Amino acid sequence: MDALVTNLGLGFSVALNGWNLLYCLMGVLLGTLIGVLPGIGPVATIAMLLPVTFTLNPTSALIMLAGIYYGAQYGGSTTAILVNIPGESSSVVTCLDGYQMARQGRAGPALGIAAIGSFFAGCVATVIIALFAPPLAEVALKFGPAEYFSLMVLGLIAATVLAHGSLIKAIAMVLLGLLLGLVGTDVNSGVARFSFGVSELTDGIGFVSVAMGVFGFAEIIGNLEQKEQREIFTKKVSNLLPSLQDFKDSWASILRGTALGSALGILPGGGALLASFAAYTLEKKLSWNSANFGKGAIQGVAAPESANNAGAQTSFIPLLTLGIPSNPVMALMIGAMMIQGIAPGPQVMTERPQLFWGMIASMWVGNLMLVVLNLPMIGMWIKLLTVPYRWLYPSILLFCAIGVYSVQNSPFDVMQTAVFGVVGYIFVKLECEPAPLILGFILGPLMEENLRRAMLLSRGDWFVFFQRPISLSMLLVAALLLAIVLAPAVRKKREEAFVEA
Amino acid sequence: MRVTNGKDFWAGLMFIAFGLGFMVVARDYSMGSAVRMGPAYFPTVLGGMLAVLGAVIFFRAFVSKIPHPVAVFPFRVWLLLGGLILGVVAYYSQGLRSSGIPGEIAHMLLAGLAIGLMFAAFGQRSLWVILFSVVIFGYMLKPLGLVLSTGLIIFVSAWGGHEFKVKEVSILFVILAVFSVLAFVKGLGLPMNVWPAILE
Repeated sequence: MDALVTNLGLGFSVALNGWNLLYCLMGVLLGTLIGVLPGIGPVATIAMLLPVTFTLNPTSALIMLAGIYYGAQYGGSTTAILVNIPGESSSVVTCLDGYQMARQGRAGPALGIAAIGSFFAGCVATVIIALFAPPLAEVALKFGPAEYFSLMVLGLIAATVLAHGSLIKAIAMVLLGLLLGLVGTDVNSGVARFSFGVSELTDGIGFVSVAMGVFGFAEIIGNLEQKEQREIFTKKVSNLLPSLQDFKDSWASILRGTALGSALGILPGGGALLASFAAYTLEKKLSWNSANFGKGAIQGVAAPESANNAGAQTSFIPLLTLGIPSNPVMALMIGAMMIQGIAPGPQVMTERPQLFWGMIASMWVGNLMLVVLNLPMIGMWIKLLTVPYRWLYPSILLFCAIGVYSVQNSPFDVMQTAVFGVVGYIFVKLECEPAPLILGFILGPLMEENLRRAMLLSRGDWFVFFQRPISLSMLLVAALLLAIVLAPAVRKKREEAFVEA
Repeated sequence: MRVTNGKDFWAGLMFIAFGLGFMVVARDYSMGSAVRMGPAYFPTVLGGMLAVLGAVIFFRAFVSKIPHPVAVFPFRVWLLLGGLILGVVAYYSQGLRSSGIPGEIAHMLLAGLAIGLMFAAFGQRSLWVILFSVVIFGYMLKPLGLVLSTGLIIFVSAWGGHEFKVKEVSILFVILAVFSVLAFVKGLGLPMNVWPAILE
């Protein structure tokens, strides 16, 4: 307990340092600013804003990125409630009841309860991270290459199982991501793989280019193909504070959402998306008000919003302790860490306690900022929703282009990003979920490295992965996950769950 | 045999192409053994798995019960093939680059044309006009400076959308040009020239 207090104390001293506080604030504001734009979710937002953070020191950069993430998530809920367009998949379920509340003139309380629920969930999740991260990191320090390889297999399988849409396409996307991650100079032999004589490719495909192209540009192009048609409830947003009755109705939902979200966020492949879907379904079963779900029940907003924020935060646990991203947002975080020269993994906590604990403390600070600053500013965000898309997208394109150019001052990177824009567009049209691709892209080189080391140590014996107990159990869990999803009954249920929402 | 699911049909083909492509290119590198894996080992295994999964998805397209038209998005096969052929030509004519400035420019144009054709092979007009505007911005930023290249990306990308009103776009351009000079060059201190390189 003492250690926890000293650690969190160190964290808050870092997070409350003037500059970091400012970067956290900037992150939250920028994140909300971009996240509130319809059709642009947290992954696209973070991808677009990544280059902004590269000039900062690692701690401030990660604090700002985490702020961007919460801001974008909150912005996404705002558009879900007011415009019925989920900015991201994890606020899909918020649309169901949030938009109905807005139509009944209760947009204010819906936004309010979303923010308050998120803040409560954020507080709980921060404590959970501080409690569980250190012991887990200690276990992870004992991992050898075989364990790491199996862990990555498990992480990737879990991510595909939880992605929506076709399982086999998701696995194919993981493989494609792994392959794209291998482009560039091979560390062991010095051979420039798949670079086709292009000198820029010998350093590998730019991570920012893949993320920004596949998530950012592809979304802009997709949005342009659909004509603008929406009904926005901008005028009627008044009295943001939910009434006493609203609190009475929803406190239990907030608690349940937080608990479920925190638990699901830790799982590899989990995070905000799964958390919000599961919380909504659970609430629909348990709540006394279930008859009103889909017709503007405040519980239908409170539970998934608390759950997705809790899940968003606890998904930092596998990232910070194992160095394994559990979802695309965490993949972007790892990418940012690597660009800053930090090797993600259990050693981050011991070698860079300031970064580790500072980031955890800043999560709480960021959540507080969201409630204190964003709620009063809601009027401004709503104004942004009324700006026509034909003005927004050239501006977004310009900032993206400047951002990606500035990473290495290279026009090639800009071109590469455009190429991944086309690729991302094709993925969307063919119903290939891009999230597994970015996970594979990040893990490609790490996986190859650990596979090589494990095989070298075992003298070429493939059974090494089954002989070591931790490695074996992780592979078994991965196989079990696949088997469960492929079982016909579950498969049907899974499709229903994603279709329903 | 009739394709019932057009999305699976194309996705399968795409994965097969990527898988085989990586395997073929990896043949230039040494395979090594399981103990000491060469640079070709992991990509070959992954490429093979990807091609197999692609084949499964491809065959599923014929038996799937989910109906999707074969034409899932605007797709111009001749432009794609043309782009690929030009790309191969560009790959094998890399010697041009070391033969002086005219050769270098010719090779750049060739590679640029190849990529441009591949952009234009997919999607509606908005797709390639917008991505094209981004690419010109990247390559013109240094010679033309931030202000003029901002003009290029704003006007070209706005022209690619549904409505294009010169007056509106001009105002947008002025605002964004002033903002990006102040924010990125003066504020963040990014090393970019504001005006064309010849003038500075």
